Amino acid sequence: MITSLGQGREATWQRLVRGDRAIGPVGLFDVQGQRSRIAGEARGVTLPESGDAQAAWSRTSAMALAAAREAISMARLDVRGRRVGLVVGATTGGMFETEALLAELHVKPSARDALVAMLSHPLTSTGDRLEESLGPFARVRTLCSACSSGANALVVAASWLLAGEVDAVVAGGSDGLCRLTFTGFNALGAIDPEPCRPFDRRRHGLTLGEGAGFVVLERSSAAKGRSAAPIVELAGWALGAEAHHITNPESDGAVVAALIGRAVARSKIELADVGYVNAHGTGTLLNDPVEARALTRALGARIGEIPVSSSKAQIGHTLGAAGAIEAVITAMAIERQMLPPTAGLDEPDPACALLHVPHRGRPAKVRAAISNSFGFGGMDTVLVLTEPELAPPMSDARCVVVITGAAALTPSGLVDARGAAGLLDAPSHGGTVVDAADLEGRLDGPRARRLDRPARLGAVVVDHALTDAGANAGTADAARAHRANENIGVVIGSAFGSVDASAAFMHRLFEKGPRLASPAEFPNLVPSSPVGHVSIYLGLRGPVFSTADLATSGESAFVAAAELVAVGEADCIVAGSVEEKSGIVERILAALFARPRTTAPSARAEGAAAIVVESRDAAEARGAAIVARLEQTVEWRGAGEGALAALRAPHDPSRALVVLARANGGVDAMLAPTPWSKCPRATCDGAGEHEGLGAIAIAAAVGRLALGEVREVLVIGLARGRGYAIVLAAP
Amino acid sequence: MDSAKLKSEIKSLIVTELNLAGKDPASIDDDAPLFGDGLGLDSLDALQLAISIEEKFGVRIPDGDAARPIFGSVSALAAHVAAARATA
Repeated sequence: MITSLGQGREATWQRLVRGDRAIGPVGLFDVQGQRSRIAGEARGVTLPESGDAQAAWSRTSAMALAAAREAISMARLDVRGRRVGLVVGATTGGMFETEALLAELHVKPSARDALVAMLSHPLTSTGDRLEESLGPFARVRTLCSACSSGANALVVAASWLLAGEVDAVVAGGSDGLCRLTFTGFNALGAIDPEPCRPFDRRRHGLTLGEGAGFVVLERSSAAKGRSAAPIVELAGWALGAEAHHITNPESDGAVVAALIGRAVARSKIELADVGYVNAHGTGTLLNDPVEARALTRALGARIGEIPVSSSKAQIGHTLGAAGAIEAVITAMAIERQMLPPTAGLDEPDPACALLHVPHRGRPAKVRAAISNSFGFGGMDTVLVLTEPELAPPMSDARCVVVITGAAALTPSGLVDARGAAGLLDAPSHGGTVVDAADLEGRLDGPRARRLDRPARLGAVVVDHALTDAGANAGTADAARAHRANENIGVVIGSAFGSVDASAAFMHRLFEKGPRLASPAEFPNLVPSSPVGHVSIYLGLRGPVFSTADLATSGESAFVAAAELVAVGEADCIVAGSVEEKSGIVERILAALFARPRTTAPSARAEGAAAIVVESRDAAEARGAAIVARLEQTVEWRGAGEGALAALRAPHDPSRALVVLARANGGVDAMLAPTPWSKCPRATCDGAGEHEGLGAIAIAAAVGRLALGEVREVLVIGLARGRGYAIVLAAP
Repeated sequence: MDSAKLKSEIKSLIVTELNLAGKDPASIDDDAPLFGDGLGLDSLDALQLAISIEEKFGVRIPDGDAARPIFGSVSALAAHVAAARATA
């Protein structure tokens, strides 16, 4: 791990247990006029050389590389020799570097080099740089659930191992400091002008930090097989959403308490074995008492005997990296039988009555420990780590995954799965924005007032997909019961997040200074904000996060949801994509395609899609009509040569269909060696072009199956250096 | 600026800045509480309204508890803005 305390896990740990605090004046950027001027900056971060401007390194990616390398080397893992996956949790990506480009564009809006370079640092870029430097990996996932992203990366990694998709996973989180988050948290009044003091009665907020934490996860049998010594086991976890407020935690901590209970139950360990809690402990007025309440509620009288500390008083809040860095710290507490402290805790707040570890670390018996991570929008994750072989082996039973409904929202209208089928091989609508009647008319104005455009597109399409899935239920009561099911999750893919709103936030900062930065706008700039708003607006409390994977962002969300349902993490997750029309992305593409010898892209439009992914057992239990069964997913990195060789053959090629998200010249060669090459093809032309087209193609494929026109569909999504193939069949 | 005009401007600002689409600014009661039960606004709205007031009227709203009475109602907010401008 990399933190402001040091490069590497040993350097960080030694200073951590001594109680050192690596928080000081910000040197990375100008903090004139901000309420707070301090942060935990990582020292000595060097950016690797890159010959390609499109593959430039960010601080976030450089820290991720250092931490992932450390984890791989400790594990003595041969990434190239086995099926190894990579999961990256992040919130800012290369925002620090992008801000310099925005500053240039603020003065000179047409600066072509700056425009083109804007494409260098999407959230996906960290995974891409790691793939180039350490890969090839068998699969790569980029996800964001705000400040629980790093913890969720470990959960996704565990689900891959349980599903047998890979032999090992490199998983973690990385986030660099930037003006945007620094200004935003200041505008929210959430930053303490002094180094933060979690659980102290004088606390005034958090301190921002930066860093990266990565782990190598593998099945204990696989580790034994190659004579690797496990450090700890990830024995249990739980993730869910509060569906309460975009920035404030639910005051009674009920959801967090339930998640702690579920995570411990999943691990099947004895409560008596829990010897430490690494708290989220941000030091904000709201977080700390709520967390103390949730811990007390979940662990009962035992909480008085379990030491609790927050590492954030020493390294700051590292946002998307925090869950992963703190998982590493928690693992080391078990490995070293040593409790890291809460620095600066002189006067514990009676509202945070816990067994604290003030100032300095101390030795203790720790067989199992809990790490909490909570994110904006109420996306919470709890991990349970144990010493090796304390917990009984985990079940790796897999569920059959089915689809019960879908919806698409495009300039031509809002449609259910059957309607989405009409977007295949249809002429483009010609419009580029979604009609107000399809959006505003379907939202409850006062309740939807905080939802920005991506969140509005998401809320309407997810609601419609659930209606489609509910309409298929056996009875009206069953449909109502399904809608009331609080454990439904949402996973939404978006390639670039809110680019225009982030740029507007920065331009306002350049123009008016930090005092007038908008506190209400800031939470909408986190990549997971739309999915968070959807969860709050519709009351969905299952797993909630966003994914990003360039022009296959919709496919990445669908596959991420399906793999969580397959291993029993949720009964039902609505997966899809949201892409708003972005003036900046269009300017960037115009600058890019101004180069000679490239063809102009087809007309860009905005759009969204949602597919209701359910376990067959849950769908049958509620009497839902199943419209499709998920048969197989294949994903790859690189050119994809031979990637489709693993595809199962269609049972009846005359009643099978290949659906392409967008026309692609390379598909013929990829399909040629497979029996799918004989099947008819359809392209998702009716929705215009955007990075989330894959989810619309999947919704359309589900529609074709629902209409009974075909029995099997192969959906193929391709983007630069990556691709997905998804086989769906009639039930 | 007379008091009625100032109050009316503040009401319009509340509706536009806090996205209370469909709400008629004139329907906001001068003396009703803005937060909690009144208009149903919360702490995030208070922060947003504070910077909006500062940007439009050049008047700072103090941080923390000191802001509470000022945000008590449209009348209290208007009185704070008028007093701050009179001493400027």
